[in-house]
Amino acid sequence: MSDNTDSNDTSMNTVSGDKKVHGTVAEFTTVDSLMDACRKVRDAGYQKTDAFTPFPVHGIDKALGIKPTILPWIVLVCGLTGTAVALTMQIWMNAIDYPYIISGKPYISLPAFIPVAFELTILFASFGTFFGMWILNGLPKFSNPVFTDPRFDRVTDDRFFLYIDAKDPKYNQAGVEKLFGEFGSDYIQSVVEDDSEKKIPGFMYKVWIAVAAVSIIPLLIGLKMRVTNSDQPRFHIFFDMDFSPSKDAQQNTTLFADTRAMRPDVPGTVARGQHDVNFRTGIDMDAMASIDGVRAERLVRMLDDDQPESASESEESAPETTKSVMDTTPWLTDNPVDVSEETLLRGKQQFGIYCSVCHGLNGGGNGLVNRRAQRILAATWVPPSKLHDASLHADVYPDGKLFSTISNGIRKMPGYSAQIKAEDRWAIVAYVRALQRSQDASIDLVPKDQLEKIKKQQAEVEAALKAEADKANAGAESAEEETDADTSDAETSEDAKDESA
Amino acid sequence: MSLAIPNGLDNTVERPGERAPLVLGDTTYHDITETVCQVAERKPSKAWVIGFLISFLVLQWFVVCILYLLYEGVGVWGNRSPVFWGWPIVNFVFWVGIGHAGTLISAILFLFRQEWRTSINRAAEAMTIFAVVCAGTFPGIHVGRAWLAFWLAPYPSLNLWMWPQFRSPLLWDVFAVSTYGTVSLLFWYMGMVPDLATFRDRSKNKWRRMAYGLLSLGWSGSSRHWMRYEKAYALLAAFAAPLVLSVHTIVSFDFAVSQVPGWHTTIFPPYFVAGAIFSGFAMVLTLMIPARSMLGLEKLITIRHMDNMCKIILATGSLVGLAYGTEFFIAWYGQVREEKFAFTNRAFGPYWWAYWTMVTCNVISPQLFWIKKFRTTPWIIVLICIFVNIGMWFERFVITVTSLSRDYLPSAWAYFEPTWVDWSMLIGSFGMFFTLFLLFCRLMPIINMAETKATLAKQIHIAHSNGEEH
Ligand code: HEC
Repeated sequence: MSDNTDSNDTSMNTVSGDKKVHGTVAEFTTVDSLMDACRKVRDAGYQKTDAFTPFPVHGIDKALGIKPTILPWIVLVCGLTGTAVALTMQIWMNAIDYPYIISGKPYISLPAFIPVAFELTILFASFGTFFGMWILNGLPKFSNPVFTDPRFDRVTDDRFFLYIDAKDPKYNQAGVEKLFGEFGSDYIQSVVEDDSEKKIPGFMYKVWIAVAAVSIIPLLIGLKMRVTNSDQPRFHIFFDMDFSPSKDAQQNTTLFADTRAMRPDVPGTVARGQHDVNFRTGIDMDAMASIDGVRAERLVRMLDDDQPESASESEESAPETTKSVMDTTPWLTDNPVDVSEETLLRGKQQFGIYCSVCHGLNGGGNGLVNRRAQRILAATWVPPSKLHDASLHADVYPDGKLFSTISNGIRKMPGYSAQIKAEDRWAIVAYVRALQRSQDASIDLVPKDQLEKIKKQQAEVEAALKAEADKANAGAESAEEETDADTSDAETSEDAKDESA
Repeated sequence: MSLAIPNGLDNTVERPGERAPLVLGDTTYHDITETVCQVAERKPSKAWVIGFLISFLVLQWFVVCILYLLYEGVGVWGNRSPVFWGWPIVNFVFWVGIGHAGTLISAILFLFRQEWRTSINRAAEAMTIFAVVCAGTFPGIHVGRAWLAFWLAPYPSLNLWMWPQFRSPLLWDVFAVSTYGTVSLLFWYMGMVPDLATFRDRSKNKWRRMAYGLLSLGWSGSSRHWMRYEKAYALLAAFAAPLVLSVHTIVSFDFAVSQVPGWHTTIFPPYFVAGAIFSGFAMVLTLMIPARSMLGLEKLITIRHMDNMCKIILATGSLVGLAYGTEFFIAWYGQVREEKFAFTNRAFGPYWWAYWTMVTCNVISPQLFWIKKFRTTPWIIVLICIFVNIGMWFERFVITVTSLSRDYLPSAWAYFEPTWVDWSMLIGSFGMFFTLFLLFCRLMPIINMAETKATLAKQIHIAHSNGEEH
């Protein structure tokens, strides 16, 4: 202890009473004198020697003849174990036992496993270094004979000690003390058996055992509860997570400004069973029920299950199997949507988006897709129908049926119920009717005040057509499309007026 | 004690052909022991007691907030759609970043044989560990149901019947941060054992002696032990060096591997690592300079130490500035609309104030360290370092919050607003940090005595051989 540093005790304590002598130790004050002594002791042939220093003294291992440590090899093995454990763990967990598909990568995707493999390599190697070092050093070791001498406390402060163990074959107490004396050491002492005073008091062991025993109890309780069943109700730590405070009908709440716990429907909500089935199928469902109750029921149920009306209805309407059913279906004959100019414009827009690619802007059946198909001579191509065909006119092909065709598709044509809202489908129906009419309408149907304007437009279009035709042949095709659009435009606006009139 | 340089203690002058001394005055081995041990042995100073009480109170408040959060749910934070990573993640990245300096000083400077690290590494390592403790708290409570955080571990679960997903950077992060915490702790503790033995041997009180005796594992200073110990220390340093780089790299993957504009960039790993070192050193200086003068450690933690650290701050601060510039360049050069928007939005959007605070603190303020006067005047260093710490917190805020608050879907954009719990937890985490640090100052050897003595031995040896030559 630090007190001892003051008393300049230079006597050679050779007597050690009846206690067992472990060896002899000499104190030095500088690194150089210690190193000198170490070399001399080694050269004198002593082997069981050791030096104690407050900091690592470089070169002392050579001076004492200490062999290098095997620690790096232990660490290498630990590190490799870490890599292997990490890779095996990840491959087993994510590719074999519970395969995850992530970003379409292979199950065993090494790059993604590298970070964890790296971390575990370092972790295991570090554990190897840390624990390996202590184990090789034989620490922790709380009772050490050298600690019996209070003077030895200064080894962790500023003093250097050289020690020769009694087990050394050349050891002889008097000889060693003489040798140390020659080195100019001012303090030489025999190291004797630890006296019990500094030992850990006996009751501490009991305390430790008690603490260890008590600390296992919660773990054991937890484990027991894990594997046994209980008829007691579950213990609720977070009550409101297990029982969220839900409200009953007609109760009030502070959460909303209107204090009603029951919330009104979001605008546009359709309650179950409240679908306007006629509107959504194009079929007069009451009439249907009396003809074919089973089919009517199925159609309604399909709407309620939020299935697109098309799903099975398209099979239903496939003509080769159910021609008779199609014929008897009580289609709606009137468009349930108000046919106004607005509706027609909406229909025109939707038709332009969804139908014109195949059927052409004027419904003539020669849209871009069709033209392309013709050009590449696509073998399986079925040309889209000409919508002006008499077989598609309202008298033989009711509005409801046209609606159903748009919704569910027909033969080669796909259904559009998933893309187009029911209202817009009805708007398209109205617009298709307008298109049909426009194709074989006589000029007399046009109101007098519009006649002038139409004629002027027609003249303009014809002039433009002529100009286009004069141009190069290469551009002819696209010019045709443009005029196509123009004429149909002119004609439809004219018909729109008609219809709304 | 004043913050001025004590007479004769300026070791920043370079003399050609000589190594500047790192231990000053006519210091002996015993003086080193005395200087360091008195910090823990004498009665605590008033400043310490007051500081500790305040920190401890703040820590208690942190605990209360965490309990409130667990009881009430994560809604008590300001995290709302679309900013689901609010302050908790900002604080996490901030603290992990601070936790980088300690291991960097201990490991990388050790491998480069930079001897000036010896007197600062212990406190810096302690700081690392306490910062990692603060950092680890946040993701722990951020998982929502914190009592189930152990689901992150790959253990055979009877409830889940499934394993964690190892291709997620968030899981890499769990491994990286916990490995980093563990290895730093081992490194710190191992480095402390010989010094704890000094404490043991100086204790007069039986219980104190027993406590330090247990902690020092019966260390006797045997040369055989020292030999293995030094080998182990070098090995741990060699492991900790790449580890420290990997940790913030992986933290940056949390962001960079996602698709969010402003996050999805390959510059993130080096940019984050530079930022981490930058903030870590700033924190070390912020703590070390007051501690040095209050605890009377001027002879061991010299002006030269601070000068060196300021140079590192200057270098990493410039790197961070370069990264900010590069991000903007790539956003323009890449011509991805969302990326371009993300960066314009950072600088000129609703969070412009955060962005420019960050730039001022992180890019402009460290440039003052070009001037030697600023690098050697303690109070100026502390001031600049505090700015750097503020700036680095804002950097994480800017990255996390601006990107999330306005990503691909404009209809979902929203402005993030922190709640009082967010504020309390940020401040509370500082309470935890300072409580731990102040306890450490009182109970543990805050300077690595053994290594400092070895540096002194070398210094004496050089002085001797020089004397012989002349
Ligand atoms: C992908 C190209 C394509 C699109 C787009 C398309 N159709 Fe058709 N449509 C066809 C084809 C092909 C046929 C002829 C099917 C057959 O005969 O196999 C057809 C047939 C029709 C028929 C006649 C059905 C019958 O019973 O003979 C109508 C009416 C019709 N389409 C309306 C429309 C409407 C309205 C739209 C816009 C919602 C539309 N189509 C969109 C390809 C298309």
